[in-house]
Amino acid sequence: MPKLYKFLSVFRTGAVNAASGSAYAEFGNTKVIVSVFGPRESKKAMMYSDIGRLNCNVSFTTFATPIRGQGSDHKEYCAMLHKALEGAIILETFPKTTVDVFALVLESSGSNSISECVAGDLPVVISCASLALADAGIMMYDIVASVSVSCFNKNLVIDPILEEEIGQDGSLMITCMPSRYEITQLTVTGEWSTTKINEGMQLCLDACAKLAKIMRSCLKEVASDSQE
Amino acid sequence: MVGLSLGETHFIQGGIAQDLRCDGRKRLTYRPISVETGVIPQTNGSARVRMGATDVIASVKAELGKPSLLQPDKGKVSIYVDCSSTAEPAFEGRGGDELAAELSNALQRCLLGGKSGAGAGIDLSSLIVVEGKICWDLYIDGLVVSSDGNLLDALGAAIKAALSNTGIPRVQVAAGTSNDEHPEVDVSDEEFLQFDTSRVPVIVTLTKVGRHYIVDATSEEESQMSSAVSISVNRQGHICGITKRGGVGLDPSIILDMISVAKHVSEQLINKLDSEIASAEAEEES
Amino acid sequence: MGLPNVSEDLSSEVEVDAFKRIFPLRYFERHLAESIRADGRPLGKARETSIFLGAVAFANGSALVKIGSTTMLTAIKMEIMTPSLESPDEGCLDWLLLVGPLMSIDFHMPPICSPIVRPGRPAEASPMVSKQLSNTISSSRMIDLKELSLVSGKAAWMAYLDIYCLDADGALFDAALLSAIAALSHLQIPSIAMNDDGKIVLVSDEDGQKRAQEPVNKEKRKLTLRSIPFSLTCILHKNYILADPTAEEESIMETHVTVVLDTSGQLISLYKPGGPVLAYTSAIQDCAALTRQRVKELNNFLDKANSAMEV
Repeated sequence: MPKLYKFLSVFRTGAVNAASGSAYAEFGNTKVIVSVFGPRESKKAMMYSDIGRLNCNVSFTTFATPIRGQGSDHKEYCAMLHKALEGAIILETFPKTTVDVFALVLESSGSNSISECVAGDLPVVISCASLALADAGIMMYDIVASVSVSCFNKNLVIDPILEEEIGQDGSLMITCMPSRYEITQLTVTGEWSTTKINEGMQLCLDACAKLAKIMRSCLKEVASDSQE
Repeated sequence: MVGLSLGETHFIQGGIAQDLRCDGRKRLTYRPISVETGVIPQTNGSARVRMGATDVIASVKAELGKPSLLQPDKGKVSIYVDCSSTAEPAFEGRGGDELAAELSNALQRCLLGGKSGAGAGIDLSSLIVVEGKICWDLYIDGLVVSSDGNLLDALGAAIKAALSNTGIPRVQVAAGTSNDEHPEVDVSDEEFLQFDTSRVPVIVTLTKVGRHYIVDATSEEESQMSSAVSISVNRQGHICGITKRGGVGLDPSIILDMISVAKHVSEQLINKLDSEIASAEAEEES
Repeated sequence: MGLPNVSEDLSSEVEVDAFKRIFPLRYFERHLAESIRADGRPLGKARETSIFLGAVAFANGSALVKIGSTTMLTAIKMEIMTPSLESPDEGCLDWLLLVGPLMSIDFHMPPICSPIVRPGRPAEASPMVSKQLSNTISSSRMIDLKELSLVSGKAAWMAYLDIYCLDADGALFDAALLSAIAALSHLQIPSIAMNDDGKIVLVSDEDGQKRAQEPVNKEKRKLTLRSIPFSLTCILHKNYILADPTAEEESIMETHVTVVLDTSGQLISLYKPGGPVLAYTSAIQDCAALTRQRVKELNNFLDKANSAMEV
């Protein structure tokens, strides 16, 4: 019987000293480091912009998956991370400059190749990135938390592990700003009835709220430590 | 990007708020859809779909291949979209690549279903010839010829039409060789099998402008959007995939409302599309 | 020479941070005159160093090393390969990036590690460090190539060493080398068996049955490391020698010397890639002396980390 809740998570900010802000997250089998640089000068070729730019990159280590990979960038994740975060960042606060969000997946939740792992790693990357942004002092409307659920013979399983991901009928990933109750990114695959979608979304939103609480307490801890 | 003056943006937004858009449509009305099938003779199936000035072509090519080790009882399907550099000034050079990748991902998510195959538009196990050894690989290519908004819906419709136009050659496996590593096969060039496309979903994109959302937005209207949600719905009214575009956050209740609107709209769209496809097929044959 | 005098005058008036930004070199030199570094270290002292073994789940050997805030993560993956005909006894060959016929060593600097690395453009330093690591590990003769052979002429191990820099704050080579050798000391060569077709297969722990089929080597084993290389990078500036520089120090004072010694004190490599300061042999000797102390220290750390693993 698959576990319903697997909130065995580790969140830590300040993992990389060289960056303006950074965070490390461990969630299930996924381990991610995210560094935030900036706001800093945009690339020379960029046109003038009166709001800030967000630049995202996600890459995997060669040992992230059981079979040695190429350690390449993941284009789809880059785009998804960008979309998940841009709605939460107050871009108006750093005109003409760029904030770079770089993520490195040290260990993936365990599909055989990078192209196959879908729902496992991305939510962790997104949540970790929002924590790193907060650590860097980038203005945001709210913390961004992300959770995915899998649908399995009519059962909903939150935060699926690999074996569950392979046999799933569908998956749903939600990225939201819990205190504003706003969804910034949503993807659904597989066949869902309307009632199942309702149920799945509610499950995700509740989990996001819980996750955000953990993230918030992590930030508070760091802030109170530095005050002492 | 579409360059609009302040007056024009007000006009568009005001029109949408009053349920009367610039081209006279209501918020939930599609532009006239025209479907043409069999436009590329070299492929196994192809179709061209036009919605207003948006013009897309989809083609299906089937090749014999080997099933993956993880799923020996299923064929493989891949979807790629290319944005022609002439479709829009912004696509010049490599400008269309990012959009093309986004569209490809969204189509894969909307049409291919979950990992176990639930909700897939194409029954992957029907593509198998000899289990674990030979299967059909479908290569679905989309081409954006001219872009005036709502590319995802148009591509989804074109792929649906192209699939119903597709004939897969009948394959005879030589007797007694089916246990070999490489069974001998005989590909018929006369007998073709038709696809069951009744399960292929349609994609309905709801674009949120101001406080309202519209279907089938033109590129002028898309430039005013805060966010858009693409929902693919099949004939049974089940949701097969959702993709959100645009960074602005949405309230969950709005998304649920969008889903129910999309289900309603999709019924009409499926019927409209099916009759268009049927008449296009009839025209091709005559 | 108006400018330096101005800075002398200003130094009493402006805040430390501002002074550091405007006259970084002067800021560091004033520290050096007092025989102390900007971070409070004496000149010849390396930063706090820590080694954690077994950090990566999907690897046969791994190590996380921190020197100050410079962080390196190394993972070693073993794969079975069929060696080429020319040298059937010596592991596998991957012509491009290797230390001879033994292992592939890659040094990665992902964009997360430093503000100067951008995605798509590999960092300047990374190919150089990669090359130095390969040279050092192969010339130290730390590993006997024959240990990586399985069945003569049929199969051999290929070891992939991937070293990721997670946080770049100076002395990259030292940290990379330390994490590489720490991972090698942690490496466990998986047990394998020959199946009925004469193919070599991995024996997984849960799978007791395969063990019955003629195991080639019965238990997981460790490599014997003969002489372990350790390194120390020093900055030469005027007459000062600064051991284990931070990224800040490296960016301001450009001449550095890297000495690699093994545990018995033999010199394995020495790098002084140009730079504005020309070094007397005595300075090089001083660097070597500092390295000798550091080797003892690092060897201790490594032993401790390994014995902690065994408990």
